[in-house]
Amino acid sequence: MKTTKKSNWKTTLFIIGALTPAMLVSLGLVVYPMINQVIRSFKDPKSGAFTFDNYVYLFTNKLSSNAIWYTVVVSILTVILSIAIAYLLAMFLRFSNSKISKTIGNLYLIPRFIPSLVAVYAMKTIIADSGLLNRISLLFPENSPLYNYKPGMLYNMKGILFMNCWFNIPFATMIIVAALAGISESVVESAQDVGAGKLLIFFKIILPLSYKDVLIAATFVFMSNISSFTTPYLIGANFPQMLGVYLRKQFGNGKYEIAAATSVVIFVLCSISAIVYLYTNMKEQAWEEN
Amino acid sequence: MEENKTANDIQQTERTVNPYSAQAVKRALGRKRFGELLILFVFMLFFYGPLIHAFMLAFANVYAQGDVIPSEWGFHWWGYVLGQQNVPKAILNSFLFAFCSTGLSLLICIPAAYVLARFKFKGRKLIMFSFLIGNAFPKIGMYTAIGIIYYKIGLMGTFLGVLLIHMLGTTMEMIWLPAGAFRSVPKHQEEAARDAGAGPVRTFFSVTLPIAWPGIVVAAMHAFIGSLGESVGTLLVGLPQWRTMMTEMYGVILDFPATAGAVFAVIIVIPNMFLLWIMRKYVSADTMAKGFKMG
Repeated sequence: MKTTKKSNWKTTLFIIGALTPAMLVSLGLVVYPMINQVIRSFKDPKSGAFTFDNYVYLFTNKLSSNAIWYTVVVSILTVILSIAIAYLLAMFLRFSNSKISKTIGNLYLIPRFIPSLVAVYAMKTIIADSGLLNRISLLFPENSPLYNYKPGMLYNMKGILFMNCWFNIPFATMIIVAALAGISESVVESAQDVGAGKLLIFFKIILPLSYKDVLIAATFVFMSNISSFTTPYLIGANFPQMLGVYLRKQFGNGKYEIAAATSVVIFVLCSISAIVYLYTNMKEQAWEEN
Repeated sequence: MEENKTANDIQQTERTVNPYSAQAVKRALGRKRFGELLILFVFMLFFYGPLIHAFMLAFANVYAQGDVIPSEWGFHWWGYVLGQQNVPKAILNSFLFAFCSTGLSLLICIPAAYVLARFKFKGRKLIMFSFLIGNAFPKIGMYTAIGIIYYKIGLMGTFLGVLLIHMLGTTMEMIWLPAGAFRSVPKHQEEAARDAGAGPVRTFFSVTLPIAWPGIVVAAMHAFIGSLGESVGTLLVGLPQWRTMMTEMYGVILDFPATAGAVFAVIIVIPNMFLLWIMRKYVSADTMAKGFKMG
């Protein structure tokens, strides 16, 4: 390590001293387990010999191969849905000065502080087939089409996506709002002065100035959903399962090698989006500098 | 519907008029107002509807099949939940882990955050990225990976084992958020203090820390709330020796009547909302979003 400013051994020592505890935690709790997991995923459970069998099993077994596809599809749909809605919400929060927009601005972050388990539970009491929606529908006259409406959202993809929107829209909105706040009003106003329409302003000014943060939000949403557990565990189906639920089951059954291979698959899927994140974050700055 | 609102704006706002001015807002009031109310309605229904409903259920003594509003109100289920033999211990454990993991991560992460924000050295971004991995990469994958190691070294079901799992969840935010906060402290203010003869430690505590405070507070609050809400990791490495409110909640959701679950949900949410209320002036999209960007 060397400082670009006047470098002396005291500063270097200080840097090393301040970083070491955090690095130890990160090495012990992240890097070492990950390496360990990768090695284990190539081991035969009995002999400990090198093998690809765990991966072959993952991609050929009906339950696990379905889980992989299902997880990817759910995560991509979640990203698209929540980013689109979050962008619209963020635009509303940024460019409207009304009381309503301020109220929403004060309220939209609070769901981020609700434990996921509680949120899933609360949503379940609404969208279950005997939940609030159904109970309200029972108030309608018996011959109306709305009578005894069953949302049918539990134990399938609809419920998971619905819940994922609840979790991810506030987060994505937060990131995009922070980005939009950086766009100064004068830039937008001067564009309007020279006659630019709203659509043109959006595509030429607002989108280019915020797409990076949109990608950051998308990355985090994608990564957290690839490995989500609580939502699919409580409101997902038994088949197809999401990878997080499948992984927990394998771990619980003591099939550590299959569990290791499953988490490596999850790691790889996340790496793809992490690369997107890094690329957008560091385009202008080389790795070595800074 | 937001789109319609924007479209209305285009038609109803003349280009020469500042669209944010009071006149423009007034002119568009009719349809725009309606659109905004609709947004608010959908927003509240989707994000707060379930929470309010669960809150209501917590005070329902009788909530029979087909009832929209409970037919009898009261605290029946509170007594039932708090009377479960595991519950008071679980609540205590939750706070024990939350205090310990927040304190420990503050101690470990703040110096690292300061160094990462203030010094430029080779590999800085690599180090920052390594913290990102721990947070952003699949929690469940990390937990099982750690769990397998725990079995080997005997940390399974121990206090330290669970504590480390709780810290894993917060390390990144505890480094990135304060680092962002330290970065926003103007360098010349620190330099001025140094020129005036203050030592580096005094400069840090009387100049840097007060300015960076909001970011650190938000990070600590995140860590605390994150630890209180941690469920999967504790479920995997803590049970059956260490139960928290969250691990109990899984059982409550699956086995108990809905009203008991609601009581439990309210008990879990109370400390979070209390913290959020105390720290409300520090919680903004701007402070929190900083935790997800590299500087």
